[in-house]
Amino acid sequence: MASFRECAAGRHRYAEEWKARTGGKVLGYFDTYFPEELAYAAGVLPVRILAEHEPDILSDKWIYASCYPAKDMINQFLKGRYDYLDGLITSEGYCQWMFHAYEVITNNKPELFSHYMFFPDYTEASSAKIALHSELEVLKGRIEQWTGKGITDEALDNAIEVYNTNRRLLRKIYELRRADRPAILGAEAMQVMLASQIMDKAEMNPLLAQYIEELEDRAPYEDRIRLMLVGSETHDTRLEELVESLGGNVVVDELDNGTSYCWNEVIPQKDRLLAIALRYLGRPHNPIKDCNWLRRPQHIFELFEDFTVDGVLVVKQIYCAPHGTDNYAVWKILRERNVPFHFFERDGSIPVDETGLRLEAFMNMLRPGLTRLAGWHTPLSI
Amino acid sequence: MKKGQLWETRPLDSWDKAKELRAKWQKSIESKEKVVGQGNTSFVVDWQVCFPAITVIEDNPAGSMIAAKNDPFARKSRLACEIRGWGREICGYHGTLWGTQFLGYQEDGSPFPKRKFTVPFPCICDSHTKRGEQCRAFEPIPRWANDYTCYIGEYDEEREKAMLEHRNYCSLKMINEMERVFDQKFDDDKMIEMIRAESTIAQYRQDVSYYMTFKPAPLTVKDIYSFYTLGGLTKLDPEETVNFWKMFRDEVKWRVDNQIAGLGTERYRWMEAHPPSWHYLKYYRYMEQYGAVCIGSQYSNGTPMERKPDGSLVERAYPGFSKDIALETREDEIRYMTGLDARAPHHFKQDEYLRPNALNEFAELYQVDGAMFGLWRGGVGCNMLRKEQAMKLRLIGKSVLFFEGSQPGDRTDLDEKRFLDQLDGWMEGQGLRKLED
Repeated sequence: MASFRECAAGRHRYAEEWKARTGGKVLGYFDTYFPEELAYAAGVLPVRILAEHEPDILSDKWIYASCYPAKDMINQFLKGRYDYLDGLITSEGYCQWMFHAYEVITNNKPELFSHYMFFPDYTEASSAKIALHSELEVLKGRIEQWTGKGITDEALDNAIEVYNTNRRLLRKIYELRRADRPAILGAEAMQVMLASQIMDKAEMNPLLAQYIEELEDRAPYEDRIRLMLVGSETHDTRLEELVESLGGNVVVDELDNGTSYCWNEVIPQKDRLLAIALRYLGRPHNPIKDCNWLRRPQHIFELFEDFTVDGVLVVKQIYCAPHGTDNYAVWKILRERNVPFHFFERDGSIPVDETGLRLEAFMNMLRPGLTRLAGWHTPLSI
Repeated sequence: MKKGQLWETRPLDSWDKAKELRAKWQKSIESKEKVVGQGNTSFVVDWQVCFPAITVIEDNPAGSMIAAKNDPFARKSRLACEIRGWGREICGYHGTLWGTQFLGYQEDGSPFPKRKFTVPFPCICDSHTKRGEQCRAFEPIPRWANDYTCYIGEYDEEREKAMLEHRNYCSLKMINEMERVFDQKFDDDKMIEMIRAESTIAQYRQDVSYYMTFKPAPLTVKDIYSFYTLGGLTKLDPEETVNFWKMFRDEVKWRVDNQIAGLGTERYRWMEAHPPSWHYLKYYRYMEQYGAVCIGSQYSNGTPMERKPDGSLVERAYPGFSKDIALETREDEIRYMTGLDARAPHHFKQDEYLRPNALNEFAELYQVDGAMFGLWRGGVGCNMLRKEQAMKLRLIGKSVLFFEGSQPGDRTDLDEKRFLDQLDGWMEGQGLRKLED
């Protein structure tokens, strides 16, 4: 585990070392709708841009005070933290704030390879797969031109296999968390997820397989209140750690950089780009890509049931327009189905005392109604 | 003569006709039993009027109208949204309107007309993309969607194809299914007539926009906003609308030829970028006390223009169908409306993404002295690039003022007193004084 935690914490160091070691290019991406397989097949390391928690002295000149992650990403780029990146891509997966960050960064760093990839918002439309397939062809061509190297079918097959393996392994960690008394807590699991968005997956997969073996032999934790985290994507594990300090455990999430990142695989077919397009169109969607049929609320409820969750934390990044609009549909289904939930907003950091107090009150509210027990005929000692 | 008057000014003759048309439209929407839907009425041309009994109410004007007319009710509406999960810092247009749905009654006490279908076309703005959420989750109603396509960079004909087909397919499917679901025949002949009319109106609008580059400006942005819904959000008989716009264009041209100003004291010209604070339009008149006239924005003034090497100003040319192309089938209509450029650069916002110096060019074409930009806490789309644009404008010697607020349809955070103080400071800092002082 140390290597995953270290990688998530020292994210820049990992990519810099990878670059020095392999001589390859590093490509930054903002959202998990970016089809990493295409870059990986060209020998490029895709690295997700993550926000930090540090004083921001640079971004105000470029972006109006709103979405903290977008501001912080600009701040980090202008400070030179991402100087090791050779390229930057936006694939329309998140929001306009991220698009804004992309615009400011590429205007400030014109030397970067940059590409704007269209990703349909109406993901269920039967024409969406054709549009996305076409965009993947464009992207493939751009990457080939940039790297000076053709992307062969064999390279794509290998990338698909490496990524599918990674998804299966990550999902297995989630499956282990379905246990009545899991041997892994939410913060640790999220560290692995964050590491997976930074590491070379071919390097990560054997480590992950070994880590899972160790997990299966690990003694389970004591009974804890089982919580689910829903909302804006996260960049660290402070919330999960706070929950754990209060006797709870985030056993599952519905986050773009959590379950949604690994929940489905590419089903290989001869037309590799179509296979990739279908995987990304068919993944559990975030609010901005779930604007017609509203499948997300039902997906959240299914995760709630599958993971025997006691209560849901709906946590929105302040100024997050997609989640700020989607929460109505989410709250509605949770209320209709008597799912206890607690909503709060987060910014760059979490006010520990205030949030802790609210979480504690929420968990105290849940305790009397707990029907899920580790061996339900035995007394509950939570 | 008014103190400080430099130019002759007079009311527009077109006003009476405009009011008559507006009243006619109001009567037309009130007198019919129609299926009321939510969404975007237009993808270039308003498709809804080609159905005998379908009306689409757009969230933006409806929400901002509530905010402008009745602030306590608007706040009550937004609270009704917020307690159901809607973010408090999210677009006021939508929060204000959909709160009314939850309350069940409108600002005048009448029942909220529940939507019977939704067609919220995605948009570059996240809030707009999600604007159908509240009535979609409110109760099961028919729903359709289209998509918003975008990319940055040079026009790429090959790349365009699949994006355009995606949009065409979604539009065609929507209209075909609406016929079936609501048992109404879509009038394709009327649609073609409207497309032709729209094309003519667009040219007249563009002419008006061009005349705004002259000194003195023949109109103020207040006039532009009063007229530009005619034929836009306010759909009328195509022929009558074309005739109106011709009359209006001719009158504006006459004003330019005879130096008739929209503001007789014009001595300072300023521009904006996006929608104004619809709930607080007083600042236009307040600025006029300094002889400062707002000549508009890329939002109000239509398709961006460019100056040719010979010095002439022309509408910026984008790939598109010939205006004379034969339109015979519904598919032809849809393709024409979608156009040939998936980046939709003729829209003000996209133009800013594609041309980083778009506002500088606008400033120079319209001979402005300064710019005033709103920074909206709930306006994810309204703020895009605004700070960068201000820096660029300053580099060419334009003074820029920022003011903060919630969103053009939400007056919660706009400190009106402070805003006016800012205007005084901005004007006085440039050596201007109120003309009556």
